Amino acid sequence: MDPAEKDLQLQLSQPKKRAAAFSSLVRSYQERLYWHIRKMVLSHDDANDVLQNTFMKAWNGLDGFRGDSQVSTWLYRIATNETLTFLSNKRMRNLQSLDGDEDMMLQNLQADTYMNGTELQQKLQKAISTLPDKQRLVFNMKYFDDITYEQMENILGTSVGALKASYHYAVKKIEKFFSEED
Amino acid sequence: MKTNKNILFEEIGKELPFSVPDNYFEQFANQIDKQIGYSSTRTHKIFRTWMYAVAAVFVGVMVLTPVFYTSNNQRSIVKNTDNYETYVLSQVDESALLDCYVDNSSTK
Repeated sequence: MDPAEKDLQLQLSQPKKRAAAFSSLVRSYQERLYWHIRKMVLSHDDANDVLQNTFMKAWNGLDGFRGDSQVSTWLYRIATNETLTFLSNKRMRNLQSLDGDEDMMLQNLQADTYMNGTELQQKLQKAISTLPDKQRLVFNMKYFDDITYEQMENILGTSVGALKASYHYAVKKIEKFFSEED
Repeated sequence: MKTNKNILFEEIGKELPFSVPDNYFEQFANQIDKQIGYSSTRTHKIFRTWMYAVAAVFVGVMVLTPVFYTSNNQRSIVKNTDNYETYVLSQVDESALLDCYVDNSSTK
């Protein structure tokens, strides 16, 4: 473990220094985690809610953090779980409503006011929104964030082989989406 | 050789078509600070620092005031003594002074 990580974990474990250490942790990781979540939930408001839940879960769970993984891996794990739970709850609510679950992700994408970029970039987001949640997660982490399969394995708890296969299928589906749209 | 897949993804790039409201991350971090009670701790620290500064200035004033007061007082006594002599001399005319001088000389 590198000295900076060791020092951070030490400060987080001390009640007097905990709040200050956590505050700087939020400032260091908020952008990375925000984009990790935003790519999944698509809407800014939803990403904001999930990010808040992520940090509050981390804050309340600091005593349970035993330091067997890096703080960043632990935060990514919480953010991923919060995101998947959020999406699953949202789907349940949509199923109970008259609108149904159909195209929920597409609706999120179109309803968001903080959406811009080129036509191709928006089309890629539409293609990604058709993938199952876990596959979207793997594709986003690999394609946009260049996270290695080994790091992903630590965060998602899925084997490198399964992650590679998941990414491969995601790419195939996206290519198919583009060829059908043309 | 580049495949269709590479051409497609190279053309799209890795930019996201999303944005965030202005100052979003700054406000978000401050909001979390409040939720974990860090903001109030920091305010308390700033308040305490200010209190120390005010106390230091107060002690400084208390210590230095007598020093300034004493030196000013001495200066004003000297000034007042000079003024008194000038005043007394101005009230006495020259002939009276001369009489006084003559009286003193004859007594001796």
